[in-house]
Amino acid sequence: MQKLGKYARSVSIIGVGCTPFMYTVDNEETNGLTEGELFGYAALKAMEDAGVNPQNVDFYFHGEASPLNGSNYLTPNIQIGNWFGMKGKGSIHHSEACCTGYLAVEQAVNAVASGKYDCVLTGAVEFGDSTPFPADNVETPKHPYKREKMTMEKFLKTTSWLYDRTYTRTLMAGQELIYDDAAEWYVRTRGLTNEEMNKTLNWMCINNRKNASVNPLAIERTTYEELAEKAGMTLEEYMNSPYNPKMGDFLRAGGLELKCDGAAALVVCATEKIPEIAKNLKHKPIEVLGVGSAACEASTPHFEVAATQEATRQVYELTGMSGKDIDLFYANDFIITSHLIAAEIAGYLPEGEGWKYICEGRTAWDGDKPINSNGGRTSFGHAHAASGLADFYEACKQIWQECGDRNVKFKPKTAFLRGYGGAQNVASIIIKELEEGESYGD
Amino acid sequence: MAIRLEKVVEKFYTSLEEGKILGRKCPDCGNVEFPPVYACNKCGSYETEWVEISGKAKLHSIVLPAALSTKPEYKKMKKFCYGEIELEEGSRFNGVVLGISKKNREELSKKLPLNVHAKIMDRDIGVKTVVFEIDEDQL
Repeated sequence: MQKLGKYARSVSIIGVGCTPFMYTVDNEETNGLTEGELFGYAALKAMEDAGVNPQNVDFYFHGEASPLNGSNYLTPNIQIGNWFGMKGKGSIHHSEACCTGYLAVEQAVNAVASGKYDCVLTGAVEFGDSTPFPADNVETPKHPYKREKMTMEKFLKTTSWLYDRTYTRTLMAGQELIYDDAAEWYVRTRGLTNEEMNKTLNWMCINNRKNASVNPLAIERTTYEELAEKAGMTLEEYMNSPYNPKMGDFLRAGGLELKCDGAAALVVCATEKIPEIAKNLKHKPIEVLGVGSAACEASTPHFEVAATQEATRQVYELTGMSGKDIDLFYANDFIITSHLIAAEIAGYLPEGEGWKYICEGRTAWDGDKPINSNGGRTSFGHAHAASGLADFYEACKQIWQECGDRNVKFKPKTAFLRGYGGAQNVASIIIKELEEGESYGD
Repeated sequence: MAIRLEKVVEKFYTSLEEGKILGRKCPDCGNVEFPPVYACNKCGSYETEWVEISGKAKLHSIVLPAALSTKPEYKKMKKFCYGEIELEEGSRFNGVVLGISKKNREELSKKLPLNVHAKIMDRDIGVKTVVFEIDEDQL
């Protein structure tokens, strides 16, 4: 059992930036946007938010889940540093597929906690909905900015790259269980009927969409209530109708990610150095208290559950915290079941009772136990590598109470973010706003 | 034994052609790795040794294929599910089990874990693989 050591020094998030999540090629205003433009926007917004100049930032981490397929790059970090004033500075690219944006925080915090750097940018960009033109294959020469829609057929073919070629793909089960394994586990271990699980899956979709409906950065803002009314149905009828067809053993279409394009970034700084580096600091720093990590290759039984349990155990052991100490919860729910099982494993919702909280609407942004207040992957959208950092953006904005009319209904101080992806990396991360009087510099 | 650069994957698949299912057993703790890999994931021993798998196993969970979780090639398996397999030798992994459908799923779910046995099957990509079948006395 892995035991985490304390960071050598405290590290805090001081600024955040995020693009809208979008289908860039579908709109004239956004068609033709490039990697440097998306990442650069998020990076500069994060620096502005932190009150730092690019010259204050020592190094940057770059995340992109599938750079060869999505950008025709092998070293995407190198190609864009000059877009946000960091030409010549050191950087590194990393990909953990859909978990990239969470481990982006881990990388940045480690780099600062070690003492090597004082102030680091960590960002991610993804074109999940389009590929460079022409999209025939990765070898042909590409246009400098034109892109083509990525078909679902091509997307599903490239997701096979996430799975072990030597055994797992041949044994056939690991890659197929991603859709329904967690639901089966929940039904069997909590004693739900299939009907209760179906209702719970539908309510996660409804709550995510409600959250997205008031979020200007979200990709899909039409509520299921509005869609049902338009179809002349009750909400329950609509959620169980061909408008929301069964795609898995348990999963319906509404519980799947909306793959799209976007970028997000954070600036993290040694807490003790903030007064020196961030002279125009706008918010209270939010300390990264710890990152639990586990990875279960897809042939591992109940890979998501097992890895979430281990990563969560690590971060709670490190911090001495429990689910009772968590105000906001975020889970990468590209398969929506994730947000139920992760919230229960983290103790944010009581074991065996979480599904009731969801069906009662208590996990919507205006409830007492908000989950994915930005709308999650099924409504905020899923720009694969960038999604985790978009969750950090949202968590920080909620903690700073900068979401206007959609601020959660209490003053949050802590958030738990459960990253998941890449068949399968899991990160369990806790952040906490520094208290009044807590020193973060001389 | 010493740490060796060895074609483990190729041997696994060529053995399937000969009707044998191979794993690797840890000489230190007895753990069996399936599918076979170099080191022991239970005790950390650098080395493991080839061992033939009996094929006897238990199925601990049932997920049925659906639109998202199937492929045209899988049609030849007719009725099947995905689930957690536990080999008699102790290894646990995700596998395919033949003989389970919507019709008998509820009844069989009540009997979990179910006794199953291994079967070697052709894949369209030019290799054989391992799937499982429910033991007749479980039906």
